[in-house]
Amino acid sequence: MTAADRPRTSAAPALRLSLIYGASLSVAIAVVGSVVGALVAELPGLLSGLIGAGMGFVFLAVTAGSILLADRVTKGDLLSPAYFGIVLGAWLLKFALFLALVFTLRDATFVEPTVLFVTLVIAVLGGLVVDLIAVSRARIPYVSDARPIAPQ
Amino acid sequence: MDANTVLAELEGNIATVGYGLAAIGPAIGVGIVVGKTIESVARQPELQGRLTVLMYIGIAFTEALAFIGIATYFIFV
Repeated sequence: MTAADRPRTSAAPALRLSLIYGASLSVAIAVVGSVVGALVAELPGLLSGLIGAGMGFVFLAVTAGSILLADRVTKGDLLSPAYFGIVLGAWLLKFALFLALVFTLRDATFVEPTVLFVTLVIAVLGGLVVDLIAVSRARIPYVSDARPIAPQ
Repeated sequence: MDANTVLAELEGNIATVGYGLAAIGPAIGVGIVVGKTIESVARQPELQGRLTVLMYIGIAFTEALAFIGIATYFIFV
């Protein structure tokens, strides 16, 4: 079976679109956040704006990325245990990483905690809005992924 | 026993309890979202594409709450 005729869920284009929109938004937030951060707290503010926008994007993108990966690995079979192993495993890993990053960055001297928090919250909320726009724009057929039962 | 007797003493940061609380809700939420998606796909496999996207949006909204909850560590304490 080649890559072209491998069964894939019809959700993949919507997820890819939300990743692209999310990346574009996080670039915009990184620019605005770092400029505002630099005005408020000079170099630490600038770095915090960049880190906050990056963290916001990575942690929301892991969800879409894990669903796409699970889809690829299980060949579109959502009821396969590997599918939810990948999606929920990535979710768990992401939270452990996020906690470790938060505890590390809190005491770092090159970070302005308030700027980082505000940028992170804006990136996460903006990411949700962008996800909704991407999903509502994507054309997902009502009936999809129906496969004929293979003859015995 | 006089009014100033200390029966129990706790040390550490109370914000730690907050991180734990921030994890409970989203964990239950994501469990429900994923569980309901499995149920729905088992009932109607042809709707898998739409249900996957809805699951994605559900997970994104639920985990956003946890991110903001845990990130409050930057401003509190």
